Amino acid sequence: MKDRESSQSRSGKPAGSPSRLGRVLEPAKMAAPVVGSARCLCLLGPGVRRTLRALPGLTQVRWSRYDANYKEPQLDKDYYLKPLEELTEEEKFERDLRTTQIFKAPPASKTSSLFEDPVISKFTNMMMKGGNKILARSLMIETLETLKRKQFKKYHEAKAEERETIECNPYTIFHQALQNCQPILGLVSILKGGRFYQVPAPLTDRRRQFLAMKWMIQECREKKPRRMLMPEKLSHELLEAFHNQGPVVKRKHDLHKMAEANRAFAHYRWW
Amino acid sequence: MMLRKVIRLISKSHKYDVLVYTSFCHTVFQFSRSFCQMLHSGCFLHVGTKASQSIAVSLDTQVLGEKCRTISRTQENDPVKTFNEACLMVREPALELLHYLRSTNFANPAIRYVIYGEKGTGKTLTLCHAVHFCAKQNWLIMHVPDAHCWVKNCRDLLQSTYNKERYDQPLKASTWLKNFKTSNERFLNQIKIQQKYIWNKRESIEEGRPLGEVVEQGLNRVKNASDAVGIVMKELKRQSSLGSFRLLVAVDSVNALWGRTTLKKEDKSLVAPEELTLVHNVKKMVTSDWHGGAIVVSLSQTGSLFKPRAAYLPQDLLGKEGFDDLDPFVPIQVYNYTPKEFESCIQYYLENRWLQHQKAHTEEGKKELLFLSNSNPWQLERLCAYL
Repeated sequence: MKDRESSQSRSGKPAGSPSRLGRVLEPAKMAAPVVGSARCLCLLGPGVRRTLRALPGLTQVRWSRYDANYKEPQLDKDYYLKPLEELTEEEKFERDLRTTQIFKAPPASKTSSLFEDPVISKFTNMMMKGGNKILARSLMIETLETLKRKQFKKYHEAKAEERETIECNPYTIFHQALQNCQPILGLVSILKGGRFYQVPAPLTDRRRQFLAMKWMIQECREKKPRRMLMPEKLSHELLEAFHNQGPVVKRKHDLHKMAEANRAFAHYRWW
Repeated sequence: MMLRKVIRLISKSHKYDVLVYTSFCHTVFQFSRSFCQMLHSGCFLHVGTKASQSIAVSLDTQVLGEKCRTISRTQENDPVKTFNEACLMVREPALELLHYLRSTNFANPAIRYVIYGEKGTGKTLTLCHAVHFCAKQNWLIMHVPDAHCWVKNCRDLLQSTYNKERYDQPLKASTWLKNFKTSNERFLNQIKIQQKYIWNKRESIEEGRPLGEVVEQGLNRVKNASDAVGIVMKELKRQSSLGSFRLLVAVDSVNALWGRTTLKKEDKSLVAPEELTLVHNVKKMVTSDWHGGAIVVSLSQTGSLFKPRAAYLPQDLLGKEGFDDLDPFVPIQVYNYTPKEFESCIQYYLENRWLQHQKAHTEEGKKELLFLSNSNPWQLERLCAYL
């Protein structure tokens, strides 16, 4: 615990409000970090960020060992495969600049594979339990395969006219299903006059995507019969969501209805 | 149909995908016509309802004499469901094997052909191809889809009435008899048994009755199923030398016959493979002291018990005992895909719309698949399943 730097909050926002940076400020469990940090700051290397001394009682929970000088890595193969002649002056300058800069290490889950999909990776991570990425990934793969097989079966049983309407690509089904599950408005708890009101508020894109994935996973975990496997249930729910039916889309509609019902409190929101 | 039957047997035991595809070669192979003939002659009754909808078995391939380049993949549980067809890729090892089978001298003792190779290279399907070829040539097929099934996961072990020291497996024996019956219908009435067999105090079978009755008895009285299997094997071995029919003994995962089992007797001691009637009978079939046919056998590490994952050579998988029993044999090694075969496989998937990912259609996508799978057929199939 001594190594934890106590730092000042980035901006003076109140505790309850959503912070854009996603950093949650928690009251420090012990007063020691504030005192010990002076020595720690000297011991740490130059690359580590030295933030300012925190206000007493506030420490940063999520922090990075990387300095501000560290740049994000470039994982796009096309960037490097571009021949030298096609580069503009700016791009050449940027390339030369990159040779002098220091870069963060890319995470193990990011590859330069053509078949990588950030949405699927995020979904896999959300399905993961206890760090068992192998299991989560295999479940995801099996779900995609099951989706494909189900659609192929339908395709072969359908007549020639209907065949074009049947979507066999599991990736488009997955993306479309999640799109259909994303809510437009969410409800936020606001304290006014000693009472908490559920106020309709806009959601960021990230939050919407997160909610869609969360609902999907919750639905598949809780509402399935005992012996049914996750891929089977997930593929079934994804297909239903793709057609705008099913329990997850219903949950989204319920949220919209609640937001509509609480329209009167919309003025309680000040951002 | 025969192919589908065989594949269904194999895939039920192996539970991995088998898509069979005959693709673009340059001379006509007449597969579909022969299939229709077989269907009309009524020898393949076991055609599921789904298969009957889609008997468009598009096996019109073109073959340059011996230089076929067709590709075989198998599909989970039912080769016909996903693509509505059953296709095989013909590869070099299979061609070699078929050449030997075509030029067998039936006066000599049966030659043993052992198919071996690393995991996922296509041993089972090569065996499958040989079985199909022989079925087309009207041989009598004695096919054991997976010998590993017999040495593990068996709930019902009965002490054999014939020999006190051996153990019967009624359910497995009856499944085998059912499959044997559907694949060799026309022979069952032609072949007559040459000895009287007594089942119990009240039932017996006289000399001269058709073999079909033995099979019926085995299916009706499940307790006698293993003995029925023994009788069938003994009769066929004796009579194949006479020349009225040609016998093909095809055993997959033959290394199960000489390893260890996970079955236990009532006093919790382990059962050795020799103490199982089914295993004992099949071992007798695999010895080459009969003539009038051939023995094609393949090894398998995938379902094997107590063998390391990296083992694939006959010596490693069979053990000393098995190797000595099978020796001498003709070894046939199966390899990973050559670049041409890989290309052919990808083309097949693309034609059938199996590769749905947009990037998989590009050149870089193919290169990536080649790299990730290392041209291993099984690995490629697993990769393409979710792309």
